[in-house]
Amino acid sequence: MPNNTIRVATDVGGTFTDLVCFEIDHSTGESRVIVAKSDTTSPNFERGLLNVLAKGGVDPSSVDFLAHGTTVVINALTERKGVKVGLIATQGFRDTLEIARGNRPDFFNLHYRKPIPFVPRYLRRELPGRMSYKGVELKPLDLSGLPAIIDDFKAEEVKAVAICFLHSYANPIHEQTTLVEVQNLWPEVSVVSSHQVTREWREYERTNTVVMSAYVQPATERYLSRLLAGLREKGFSKSPYIMQSNCGVDSLGSVAKIPITMVESGPASGFWGAAELGKLIGEPDVLALDIGGTTAKCSLIENGEVKIKTDYWIERDRTSAGYPIMVPVVDLVEIGNGGGSIASVDGFGKMRVGPQSAGAVPGPAAYGRGGSQATTTDANLWLGRINKDNFCGGEVVADMAAAKAAIDAVGQKLGVDADEAARGIIRIANNNMVNALKLVSLNRGHDPREFTLIAFGGGGGMHAVALAAELGVRKVVVPVGASVFSAWGMMMSDLRRDYFVTRLFDLKRGAAAGIEQVFTEAEERSRSEFAIEGIEACRIEFLRYGKFRYQNQEHTTEVLLAAGRITDERLAEIEASFHETYEREYTYRLDAPIEAVGIHLVASAEVGKLTMKKCDSTGAEPETALKGHRDVDYAIEGIDRAAIYDRGKLEPGMTFSGPAIIEDPSSTVVVHPGNRVEIDGYGNIHIYLAA
Amino acid sequence: MPTKTNDPITMEIIQNSLQATADEMFAVMKKTAMSSIIYEVLDMGTGITDAKGELACSGAGIPAFVGVLDKAVKVIAKKFRRGGDIEPGDVFATNDPYYGGVTHLNDIVVAMPVFMAERIIAWTANIAHNSDVGGMAPGSLTGAATEIFQEGLRLPAVKIISKGEPIRSVMEIIKVNSRMPHVLEGDVWAAIASVRIGAKRLQQLAEKHSVELFENAMSQFMDFGERVSLAELAKLPKGAFKLSEEQDDGRVFNVKITISDTEFVVDLRENPDQSTNPLNASRDGVMVCAQMLFKSLANPNSPANEGSFRPIRLLTREGSVFHATEPAPLGFYYETELRVKDLMWRCLAPHMPERLAAGHFASLCGTFIGGIHPDTGRQYTIIEPQLGGWGASPHRDGNTAIFSSFHGETYNCPAEINEARNGLYVDRMELNLEPGGEGKYTGGRGIVMDYRVRAAAGFLTVGYTRSKFPAWALAGGREGSPNYVRLIRRDGPSERFAFASGLTTHADDVIRVVTGSGGGCGDPKERNRAAVEEDIKNGLITRDRAREVYGTE
Repeated sequence: MPNNTIRVATDVGGTFTDLVCFEIDHSTGESRVIVAKSDTTSPNFERGLLNVLAKGGVDPSSVDFLAHGTTVVINALTERKGVKVGLIATQGFRDTLEIARGNRPDFFNLHYRKPIPFVPRYLRRELPGRMSYKGVELKPLDLSGLPAIIDDFKAEEVKAVAICFLHSYANPIHEQTTLVEVQNLWPEVSVVSSHQVTREWREYERTNTVVMSAYVQPATERYLSRLLAGLREKGFSKSPYIMQSNCGVDSLGSVAKIPITMVESGPASGFWGAAELGKLIGEPDVLALDIGGTTAKCSLIENGEVKIKTDYWIERDRTSAGYPIMVPVVDLVEIGNGGGSIASVDGFGKMRVGPQSAGAVPGPAAYGRGGSQATTTDANLWLGRINKDNFCGGEVVADMAAAKAAIDAVGQKLGVDADEAARGIIRIANNNMVNALKLVSLNRGHDPREFTLIAFGGGGGMHAVALAAELGVRKVVVPVGASVFSAWGMMMSDLRRDYFVTRLFDLKRGAAAGIEQVFTEAEERSRSEFAIEGIEACRIEFLRYGKFRYQNQEHTTEVLLAAGRITDERLAEIEASFHETYEREYTYRLDAPIEAVGIHLVASAEVGKLTMKKCDSTGAEPETALKGHRDVDYAIEGIDRAAIYDRGKLEPGMTFSGPAIIEDPSSTVVVHPGNRVEIDGYGNIHIYLAA
Repeated sequence: MPTKTNDPITMEIIQNSLQATADEMFAVMKKTAMSSIIYEVLDMGTGITDAKGELACSGAGIPAFVGVLDKAVKVIAKKFRRGGDIEPGDVFATNDPYYGGVTHLNDIVVAMPVFMAERIIAWTANIAHNSDVGGMAPGSLTGAATEIFQEGLRLPAVKIISKGEPIRSVMEIIKVNSRMPHVLEGDVWAAIASVRIGAKRLQQLAEKHSVELFENAMSQFMDFGERVSLAELAKLPKGAFKLSEEQDDGRVFNVKITISDTEFVVDLRENPDQSTNPLNASRDGVMVCAQMLFKSLANPNSPANEGSFRPIRLLTREGSVFHATEPAPLGFYYETELRVKDLMWRCLAPHMPERLAAGHFASLCGTFIGGIHPDTGRQYTIIEPQLGGWGASPHRDGNTAIFSSFHGETYNCPAEINEARNGLYVDRMELNLEPGGEGKYTGGRGIVMDYRVRAAAGFLTVGYTRSKFPAWALAGGREGSPNYVRLIRRDGPSERFAFASGLTTHADDVIRVVTGSGGGCGDPKERNRAAVEEDIKNGLITRDRAREVYGTE
């Protein structure tokens, strides 16, 4: 056994490519962390990755485990940079993609614009053949028209083919047959069918999902193969793992086939990190909050488990219906509120913060790059929460005159001075984030007072305590390396796949065998898929969730089932836990028959994740980390003289009380008056709010 | 100068929280309802009023329900005005348009007072379409009704929960009157859960900020709504605008709208008497239509509340189709409301084309299909509005296949779910390619959907308008295409309908739903050539027709 293990996580974002490397020396038990950043090199992203490895001094040939996250899929979708897709649908349903669901969220707006389908009508074609909802063939598949369709697609320079047939979630044979025939007729084309991506019903959602997968497939495949080639050339010999939207990692080969599963991998790794950190520090119930430059995202983790759903949409908000992507994605709420969010006051004296953001250019007014609108960061700076003498880790000289002018402009419209306006910006921003946190907790029947808030991202520590106080949360944890926490989460991830299957059963005596069979089939499938990744069956851990509802309802409630075979004898216990879960979420229960609508199986296996070790303390007093004092405006509690601590000098076991500010080059933690701070054995900051 | 009781930031925070509460009430109801028309179509709405019943805030859902809840709460508050009539934990219900129910008997409004220290500070309320509330026909809606008594159980603003405990006798009466008692019960409980959660949130809000701040925030929110409306009203062309329009059934509807700097007056007094068929509307319902159109004109993005509707004045004549009196039936009220909204829209559009596009398919196209599910043996009832084409505007083609202006955050039913739940086949669902809606900018397309019945004996009820007179055009565009249903019998004969009640269907009969394109805008000859080529390539128009209408080679 080599005497050290090197684990690397790399994250390709729109602007920067990040690197975090953990090296553990087994002989001494010492660990070394390397963090590096370099420019993202679009469109040859692999160069940026190799650059950042070089910059961090990491030799790819020495790396034992490499996890990779990328925004390449979501960027291709939102920037419309995918390929021309041809769609083959069931006869009578070529227009499903365009008809969509017919909703108009911005309902008073008579100029609403329906989202444009990713495949125009002339590239949407049909084949005869029908399945019933039970998966029984009603009309055989007729492939006689396929060659002509393929000829037309070739003539139109289609680059990827998507196939979606009605009820393929129940029986995929028509899709499979068509897929094989497309490959025969046109071996060079990229082709994918809907059942490979999802086994759930709703034809519009499934069609759009497979279309989007096809749309990003050629570019992603190329990206991943270049990535691998680049790493191989530098001597990396292991299999890289790719971060997925379901909080797991998966093999490069498997991801290249269905790349759409990467769509929300960025936030997923952070939330997974929060779940893992929670388990590590004995806090299994977590509200996780990630505050970045333009948005804040949050998710609820219950008993150490992240919630994974397939109800994910892009570009969907109050003004647009957006596009559904029916793949397993961590359940999160995202709002347009981050450090760069702009505060504005309309003609009627109403203030908003976000969703417009000053971005990196011009950035907050205090960057002095010509930004004239006040942002959350400007307000934090003005109130002394951010250190004006060490702005952005000392890389930027804070332009306080510009910040004041921008905040004054807001204040004038409200009839208040700059201090009051800055407090207002913070309070509104906090309120927006509190509402988002309520959406994932209170609105789903969870009492936030029973959760610990784990806050990360550049702005997490700045706002966390105020949000926790508002929600009645008693403890906030700001992890070590909060600004690169997503990369840390990646290193903690398992190889994970989520299988969602729609299948209807009345939950009554006699149903157990059928339900058990759906689980068994999914487990069999996952065993053979994991075997391809070289993972033996005994290493796979399964979690079985059932999706239930009262008869005649539509939306289901997911219930975790205890391990073991499902038998008719166990149905009463399953029923009871459904009633209980339902009542907690919706305040009442019914004496009505229950239906099972499908299953959600989680299969995971450890593939070399990081084991954290506690650090030693030198026994130094917290005063050794004290940098000084300054006046800090806490927006609601008033102005206090706060102790300023240098995060780099904080050691395990240190404790002190607020008012305080903890600073490191990339983030600031605001500790309010009355809070008690404890540094744990891993260097995480625990903040206890006064009861 | 801001003070403790009207600090603008606190006001803003409370107002945001009101919106979040209305949205949460909506989410709860959507997820727990048992009727597909609620959970899938989202034929429902949620709202918050002040103690007097003035609308402070509304949730998502459909615009036609936004202005309903305040009217219901006012009736409840008036009826239960004596001390002790209303206690903490009480919940009320009304579905009767003659008792604040506004729409028709299928829609039950559930409302709950929010108490702080013995005093009502607000109400939470919601409305949803229930699948069956009794009456002479399954689904409770029938064109054959001549009196409201035939349209189902009437709940004339009554208490259903007293101090937190359900009033068992009332609940039993509600349940026993439905053909789908368990579904109705589940839906009513979904509504109760929604108002309770809303009330709890508002209490927490008032506790945190004080009742005084809470009430100030509500009234300032309404005043803000009014200021936005007045500011936009000032930008509209002033004057009196009139329109007469013949309807599919031969009646002629008239409207006069007078716009001044401070008022938006809708005069509907000169209109036919109420009828003995269920195509009547209540005055409250017609007011909702005026509010919807005004909101779209004035400022679609600001909050909709009592203040934003203050400039509207509505004139109606009691006993007319737009101000029905007891016992006129109102089952298909929504088609009449759509007609009157479209009438106002058409009256103003030529004078403000930047704000109002050409006409859309403008019918709910309410389609009711029922029978016994051949696989489960259980009764199924489809109650659904349809998607259709929207009108073109001076710079853009209209939207294809979205719900009428009556609806909003409303979803159609996926064919896969439809086939499983209702035990019939959806043979196709595609764009309607019938000619119509051409122009410099074209109207969006409607749809064609074929339901093939599997049940041995089922029923079909439909109520479509704009079947004879399709969507109107603007500025030289062509009018859209009609809405209708074609029932194609297994053995061949077929018949076209716009209104039909309780037709019997048999296995392998095909019910073809056809909805129209929206109206075009501008002379078709001026349509961009590349756009015409694209239409041809996409199979939306034949080359021959393009030559004829657009004058292309």
